[in-house]
Amino acid sequence: MTGRRPDWIHPAFRLIEGEEVFGWADLAALPMPAGGVVQADRPSRVLAALAAAETVGQGLLLARGGAESGGWQSGPGFSVTLESSGTTGTPKRLRHDFARLRGRLRGVAEEGARWLLTYDPGAFAGLQVMLTAAAAGALLVAVPNRGAGTIAALAQAARRHAVTHVSGTPSFWRAFLMALGGPETALDLPLAAVTLGGEAADQPLLDRLAKRFPHARLRHIYASTEAGALFAVADGRAGFPAAWLDAAPDGLEMRIADGVLEVRSPRAAPGAVDADGWLSTGDLVERRGDRVLFAGRLDGLVNVGGVKVSPEVVERRLLAVDGVADAAVVAVTSPITGHLLTATIVPVPGADDPALRVALRAATADLPPAARPRALTFADHIPLSAAGKKSRKGAP
Amino acid sequence: MTDSIFALIAEELGRIAADKGEVLPPLTADSRFLDGDLPIDSLDLATLLVVLEQRTGQDPFREGFRQFTTVGELAALYTVPA
Repeated sequence: MTGRRPDWIHPAFRLIEGEEVFGWADLAALPMPAGGVVQADRPSRVLAALAAAETVGQGLLLARGGAESGGWQSGPGFSVTLESSGTTGTPKRLRHDFARLRGRLRGVAEEGARWLLTYDPGAFAGLQVMLTAAAAGALLVAVPNRGAGTIAALAQAARRHAVTHVSGTPSFWRAFLMALGGPETALDLPLAAVTLGGEAADQPLLDRLAKRFPHARLRHIYASTEAGALFAVADGRAGFPAAWLDAAPDGLEMRIADGVLEVRSPRAAPGAVDADGWLSTGDLVERRGDRVLFAGRLDGLVNVGGVKVSPEVVERRLLAVDGVADAAVVAVTSPITGHLLTATIVPVPGADDPALRVALRAATADLPPAARPRALTFADHIPLSAAGKKSRKGAP
Repeated sequence: MTDSIFALIAEELGRIAADKGEVLPPLTADSRFLDGDLPIDSLDLATLLVVLEQRTGQDPFREGFRQFTTVGELAALYTVPA
């Protein structure tokens, strides 16, 4: 590496990763990843690899998990390719122009901000937090290992380094509040900014956050893959003001077509919009009084802990298992992860239940944990809705 | 008391841990969820709440979230059948 500091890393930027502290010089000393592919499990590695790839003018793949990256082609020039956490087991890869990606960062972080990284460093939202902190010369606090105990480690790190800015999914926030413990009005972590994104924010959670962090700027962000961040709601209420259908902030236009939210944004990718510049978000909305509230996905995807999963895809997998006569995968609401997939299985007569459970588990083992059906129940029939269809969503 | 609910939580947590190839350490009323003490993540905790609803017929979170951090605090949210 040349060691030349890129202009998107402020000289005052510091990264705390577990027990290690990195400034630019420490990042520059990290080994270069081979073949333009970096395992995006630590922010230090990701930032160092980005700087190195920019210097040599090469594409970079932020790999997550064990997907095969051997055949990956970086294409000409410096770009960043992210892997989605899809429901099919095979991640989707989306290439971003780095300058454009930085241009989509909204708002400038205040000086002296101390950010907590709650997102995966290889995820779009994680990269946004990292780049925001790096450009502002802020402190970025991260925990190196993800898995069981991550939330507890994040809560400890938040306290220890007195973080001021935390952005996470509603599911993250529910678990984080639990891990912090203490009374709902404890003032032990004086956050300045609380941001929610990636899933629809519900009113009970917004109320709990306002109570626990009364001095924080509380915002929930609405974004889509094609158009990036579209708007931020800062009034502490779920959904967004219905008045925005007539006049929305930041040059954005919104309308409801057949219950689906459509947007026209100056920041949308040109290929994703129709001839008039409108883009269907695929998000179902309901107008209630002075508010527009989110009501799930048109494509039936449900959000489990920030991961969009398809009950239908999982159901098809289970139906293909030997010994299964019928199966229904249903999303039930969860106070922890927003939703959770559950499965009801009708075994063929004479099926061996324990063996069937093992086979059912194996049929979804390659899916991300959020997409696997939890709580398998065996039954002698699947209850159907009045229309004769399997009811996809559990009782609200 | 909530002994039977505590036993139910211990049984189901043990099953969830075993499914992941983990062994649950001895559980007490003061064991904290999501605190690194127990080998479970938030998806496992969400699973536990669904299974408890299936087995007890009760959903203490129907009217909104209720704060709990420990196994004992969760057990106290369920009423014991007479």
